[in-house]
Amino acid sequence: MIILEDIHKVYLRKKVETTALKGVSLQVDKGDIFGVIGYSGAGKSTLVRLVNYLERPTSGKVIVDGQLLSDRSAHELRQIKKDIGMIFQHFNLLESKTIYQNVAMPLILSKKGKKEIKERVTELLAFVGLSDKANSYPNELSGGQKQRVGIARALASNPKILLCDEATSALDPQTTQSILDLLKKVNNEYGITIMLITHEMSVIQKVCNKVAVMEEGEIIEQGSVLDVFGHPKHTTSKNFVQTVVRTEIPANIKRKLAEREVSTLAKLEMVGDHATEPVLQALINTFHLDVSVVFTNMTEIQDTTLAIWYLQIEGKESDKRAAWQFLEEQNVRYEEVTV
Amino acid sequence: MFDTNITLNQFVEAIGDTFYMVGMSLLLGTIIGTIFGILIVVTKPGGIIPFPIVYMILNPIINIIRSVPFIILIVALIPFTRSIVGTSIGNNAAIVPLIIFITPFIARLVENSLLEVGPGIIEAAESMGATPFQVIWHFILPEAFGSLILSLTTATISLVGASAMAGTVGAGGVGNIAIVYGYQRFDSFAMFSTVVILIIIVQVIQSTGNKLARMIRRN
Repeated sequence: MIILEDIHKVYLRKKVETTALKGVSLQVDKGDIFGVIGYSGAGKSTLVRLVNYLERPTSGKVIVDGQLLSDRSAHELRQIKKDIGMIFQHFNLLESKTIYQNVAMPLILSKKGKKEIKERVTELLAFVGLSDKANSYPNELSGGQKQRVGIARALASNPKILLCDEATSALDPQTTQSILDLLKKVNNEYGITIMLITHEMSVIQKVCNKVAVMEEGEIIEQGSVLDVFGHPKHTTSKNFVQTVVRTEIPANIKRKLAEREVSTLAKLEMVGDHATEPVLQALINTFHLDVSVVFTNMTEIQDTTLAIWYLQIEGKESDKRAAWQFLEEQNVRYEEVTV
Repeated sequence: MFDTNITLNQFVEAIGDTFYMVGMSLLLGTIIGTIFGILIVVTKPGGIIPFPIVYMILNPIINIIRSVPFIILIVALIPFTRSIVGTSIGNNAAIVPLIIFITPFIARLVENSLLEVGPGIIEAAESMGATPFQVIWHFILPEAFGSLILSLTTATISLVGASAMAGTVGAGGVGNIAIVYGYQRFDSFAMFSTVVILIIIVQVIQSTGNKLARMIRRN
């Protein structure tokens, strides 16, 4: 659906060059909710704006729905933009127009008939739960309601893609949750591919199926959300994951382990159904190992469970080897870690 | 009752003259000035239709005209005025320099009002695939409308002030009475009453403008 190939973006301001993106490549498939996370200044905003060509790449290819955007005329690009909705951190609604008129705007721009506009806007306002606000003005609405209007407006032209530019960053946690639920609904019911950028890992955790981590204009890690949350490779990714899932052993436990002179632990990572299977029991009963749980964490990601166990395991080497084999068969990711 | 040489009729006529001159020049000045203001904003480097040549020509022209004091402008424009309206004296002859005077002023005010519209609104418009004309018509102008009304209010008051100097080319108006009777003939009553009338006119214009802008901005 969206392919970015080796994108470089250099801004020239007052004869000083700033590089915003350094060779970024990514692919978003149809039906994905693709999250891009990074600290401010990482280049996320520039990245998301490449998709609807609000920003043009200095070099590299942007391919949306099979069309190479650099080949398209200004007129064709405007048509392509109608297939890509966008919502913003600060909503960017027209303060001088009613909610109805705001949602109708993309249809007015496409010169649709009054009747068609009325039907579509009524349907969209019902979808986002704001039917009673049609004649209100944006300044009479709360932040969450404004973002709902933004979503309704972005959906008006029946887009295939929805871009979310820090769409929940100006909202409180509860409102954020309701907007994220709405985005999921947009993805499920209309089959719209979503690309969102955020600096909050909890947003990625709650809605995305894929994630890319950005730092200083580069994607340092990308993959399925479960993979990245389970074993982030890069320090920055680890830091982001740590904000919602504790995958590292807390310091006080580490100190106690040091006192007891424990140096190696087994780290088990289980996803979905495996997370609730009686793996521990098998280790103890079937393989006769002496298992003590040092630290554990279970988190819900994308409607499945990610469980991380740190175990101290004692026993015969042959039993251990048999146990590791068993874990592998059970699709439990296993690794030995040094404390 | 008062020791004065002017009659009520003269006052009524003067007020009519002022409204005529201000109204006509405001109408034409607003049309041309708004177009220039929009052109400056959109053709600016980084604007929605970057066209540096238009910007580089319009911008200094506006500055140059705005640098010339109105009283000088009236006199300097006499040949031009004569070629346009066929005479260089009277109310119609005053309207020409008034338009030339107010158009660049309105262009600047319109520019400021339009620049108040946040870049986020324009970005939203572009993300919807709006044409540059649609961006101006459906987004920038409606969002700036309240501010534009206040700008035009300021311009109108400026015109009332400028029209007082129209007497130089034999035009009438309230300001002319103040100068001819009040100042040149030491008629204190004429001076005092014209000042009061001007104060009232300015107050009415300003509060009407404020009210309109508030209605449009809805707060």
